[in-house]
Amino acid sequence: MSNKLIDLVHISKTYGTNTVLDNLDLYIRENEFLTLLGPSGCGKTTTLRIIGGFETPDSGQVIFDGKDITALPPNKRQLNTVFQRYALFSHMNIAENIAFGLKIKNKTKKYIDDKIRYALKLVNLDGYENRMPDSLSGGQQQRIAIARAIVNEPKVLLLDEPLGALDLKLRQDMQYELIRLKNELGITFVYVTHDQEEALTMSDTIVVMNQGYIQQIGTPETIYNEPENAFVADFIGDSNILSGIMLKDRLVNILGTPFQCVDEGFGTNTPVDVVIRPEDVNLVKPEDGMIRGIVTHLIFKGVHYEMEVMANNYEWLVHSTDMFPVGTEVGIRVVPFDIQIMNKPISEDEEAVNIEA
Amino acid sequence: MKNAAKKVYLILILILLYAPIATLMILSFNKSRTRAKWGGFTLEWYRSLLENEQIMNAFYTTLLIALLSALAATLIGTLACIGMQAMSKRARNILMATANIPMVNPEIVTAVSLMLIFIALRVGLGFQTILLSHITFNIPYVILSVMPKMRQTSRSTYEAALDLGASPVYAFFRIVFPDILPGVISGFLLSFTMSLDDFVITHFTKGPGIDTLSTKIYTEVRKGIKPEIYALSTLLFVSVLLLLILVNYSPEETETAAKQAQKKPGRWKIFVLRRFVPAVMALVLISGGIYYGSRGKIGGQNTLVVYNWGEYMDPAVLELFEKETGIRVVYEEFETNEIMYPKVQTGAIAYDLVCPSDYMIQRMIENDLLAEINFDHIPNLKNIGSTYLEKSREFDPDNKYSVPYCWGTVGILYNKTMVDEPVDSWGILWDETYADSILMQDSVRDAFAVALCYLGYSLNSTDLDELTAAKNLLIRQKPLVQAYVVDQVRDKMIGNEAALGVIYSGEAIYTQRENPDLEYVIPKEGSNIWIDSWVIPKNARHKESAEAFINFLCRPDIALMNFDYITYSTPNTAARELIEDDEIRNSPIAFPDDEALRNCTTFHYLGDEMDGVYNELWNQVKSK
Repeated sequence: MSNKLIDLVHISKTYGTNTVLDNLDLYIRENEFLTLLGPSGCGKTTTLRIIGGFETPDSGQVIFDGKDITALPPNKRQLNTVFQRYALFSHMNIAENIAFGLKIKNKTKKYIDDKIRYALKLVNLDGYENRMPDSLSGGQQQRIAIARAIVNEPKVLLLDEPLGALDLKLRQDMQYELIRLKNELGITFVYVTHDQEEALTMSDTIVVMNQGYIQQIGTPETIYNEPENAFVADFIGDSNILSGIMLKDRLVNILGTPFQCVDEGFGTNTPVDVVIRPEDVNLVKPEDGMIRGIVTHLIFKGVHYEMEVMANNYEWLVHSTDMFPVGTEVGIRVVPFDIQIMNKPISEDEEAVNIEA
Repeated sequence: MKNAAKKVYLILILILLYAPIATLMILSFNKSRTRAKWGGFTLEWYRSLLENEQIMNAFYTTLLIALLSALAATLIGTLACIGMQAMSKRARNILMATANIPMVNPEIVTAVSLMLIFIALRVGLGFQTILLSHITFNIPYVILSVMPKMRQTSRSTYEAALDLGASPVYAFFRIVFPDILPGVISGFLLSFTMSLDDFVITHFTKGPGIDTLSTKIYTEVRKGIKPEIYALSTLLFVSVLLLLILVNYSPEETETAAKQAQKKPGRWKIFVLRRFVPAVMALVLISGGIYYGSRGKIGGQNTLVVYNWGEYMDPAVLELFEKETGIRVVYEEFETNEIMYPKVQTGAIAYDLVCPSDYMIQRMIENDLLAEINFDHIPNLKNIGSTYLEKSREFDPDNKYSVPYCWGTVGILYNKTMVDEPVDSWGILWDETYADSILMQDSVRDAFAVALCYLGYSLNSTDLDELTAAKNLLIRQKPLVQAYVVDQVRDKMIGNEAALGVIYSGEAIYTQRENPDLEYVIPKEGSNIWIDSWVIPKNARHKESAEAFINFLCRPDIALMNFDYITYSTPNTAARELIEDDEIRNSPIAFPDDEALRNCTTFHYLGDEMDGVYNELWNQVKSK
């Protein structure tokens, strides 16, 4: 793996009595697409603003390329930000917006003109030089904001929920666009979002945050398939999170029924949290199921049907391409590999971050 | 049909809005000095406006103060907004509320407070105090118009600029400032207008020798507003209108707007905003600097601070005096005795020479505000007729404090074509034949003087029975009275709108010139004679210069100049002899014989309590 480019060391930040970040440690590698993911108020934006220099941490250090930049003002940092609401300069045209940073750096006119053309090409908006920001759509404005940032050739591009204001289709298009950009430019992206799908689609690394703490760091696959706690499981996609008792290695009691699983090392008769993704719940004939239940809700979602099944006093969330009408008695099967066992939180801190939704 | 009604309605509104201004503009071309009749078209007033140094000075001072105070207030207010923007919501709200207080505070309170603090801090009242006051009351208006714009600016554009390498100062001026600029400009324009408009605050914080248009115009109420002011107002209105048209109408903009979504201001607009307006501002500022720089300092040893009625001295007399003696005269004007009195009494400004009326002089003597005049320095006193010095004894018993300047009587002005019988008594004002053709003065003492004299009592009566009788008489007269007026007697009589009116003799001469059918008479029962005299306040700094000036004013040729200018009767008998026009020299209006004056007395100061009684009775008359 490549080197650490940014290293956040023991960062804490408090507003009044509200602790936003508590002793946070995080490093970002060169050429990585790292996403800070979490619900609002989890501290992800504050973390980004501390990297950008718009906030100063109460304690801790920001190391950039081996140098401590904790006290460096934003205009002296070698990184650029794309803001949530584009933040284009409304009284300047597109070319002037893009040239803003370059003019401050006293680049030649030719250099600037070339850069503007290059950047507009990169974001697929050639020929927009003389337009005013107001006359552009949201997606176009966001691409200009990106163009304005990247012409400065930053080592890191910080993106603060840049797609938050766009509609769904545009958002998906922009996600591919951002991946392409990142690959073409070969620079580090630090991306902040509360949208788990965005995070899963684009990131090399996802950092799940809640209430100022990092919950889990990992690749999208790890985060999705092996959530380390109930919060991550719940936040990343829909989940059935059940209380269970680990009877022994590879056998867990869920709602009174023993299930085969693949996890080991939790001891015997230990209370645990069990995560089962809705698409991993298989509906079969009642007699074939490990437990039985009645379908209580049915919604068509396009790719699949979403159903709720009442079984053993728990409302199971099920995604399936097969349809079972409301009132049907069904059996439930789960293959051992799809059962994810997690420790129940022990400390108070963990307790606090546990319940969110 | 509906459309026609709409149009009529619109036209009606426009007429209502613009009729007053149109009237003023028409009057500015009226050859006749009076509002009552059209004397033909003339540009005379525009010419004499440009030659009138006093008005032009006042006009200039107004512009300069408006410009400087608006600039300073815009700067301070905008900086305040930047600071407040960075504050917590709570602190900002408290500060906003504090900043808004001066706007809702009654202007008079602000004005008096400012005057008091200037006096307490011993800041001499003058140009600088007006400027400071205007800056003070303008700042809230700037904050009010800049702050909403400031709140609209997104913090992220500023941060984006920092992010792209801009220093905080560069980011502010390049990014934030253009966003709040409309607010800053409207704050500036609002301040400019507020400053132009202001009368009350200027009045209380101004010093001698300096006037803005509003205070200057106000001093003229006693003698009537001059047509030059109409001309000036017309010019102001037209130039503001032109500026507005220029700013709002730009042909390029309408053309291009359709083609592109670009928002670029038209060439005209750029020219007006970027070139023309700043150029005018710079010009005013620079010439103002030179002008005020060359005027030197007020309060030097060789100056004289004179406080006189508005329009109560020929400007040429001042010039002549300055030339002959080398003493510089700082000249300030007042509107009424009551406005003058507190200014002298508080001692905020050390006036050297004041020209109050009889009863006010008595009050000032009683309150020990006046210095005894050294008459050795005023040999020209010999030119003042003994009759007038004798009459002066009513308020200045030993002739120690005052030298008469102008005088006059109160009498009946009547239209010979409407009144056939000879008029010699106040009684005609109660004659029902003239119902609705009688004009009375709308002032307590003048109205009561008429009734008291008619009843055979003293017009300074303090006897409650006599006063009640007078009150009842006035109430009885009320149905016959067309109107209680202040200075419209003149215009209404010239315009043949009334048959009889109570008027000052000084006005009578002028009205007779405009309408030969008018005749003035002092009723046989007696009347009020008023005398305005020069006095020297105790705190005068240049007493000898003041006496030299009085002596100068008593010189026959000078007194004649002032008589020609003011047209009020002069007590200077030597000057009267110099009047060439026989008709005027022997005019029974301007110079009634001693017999006619025998029954005339001056008003006395009756004390605050008696004033209260008079006012109460007058209210009863008015409200009946």
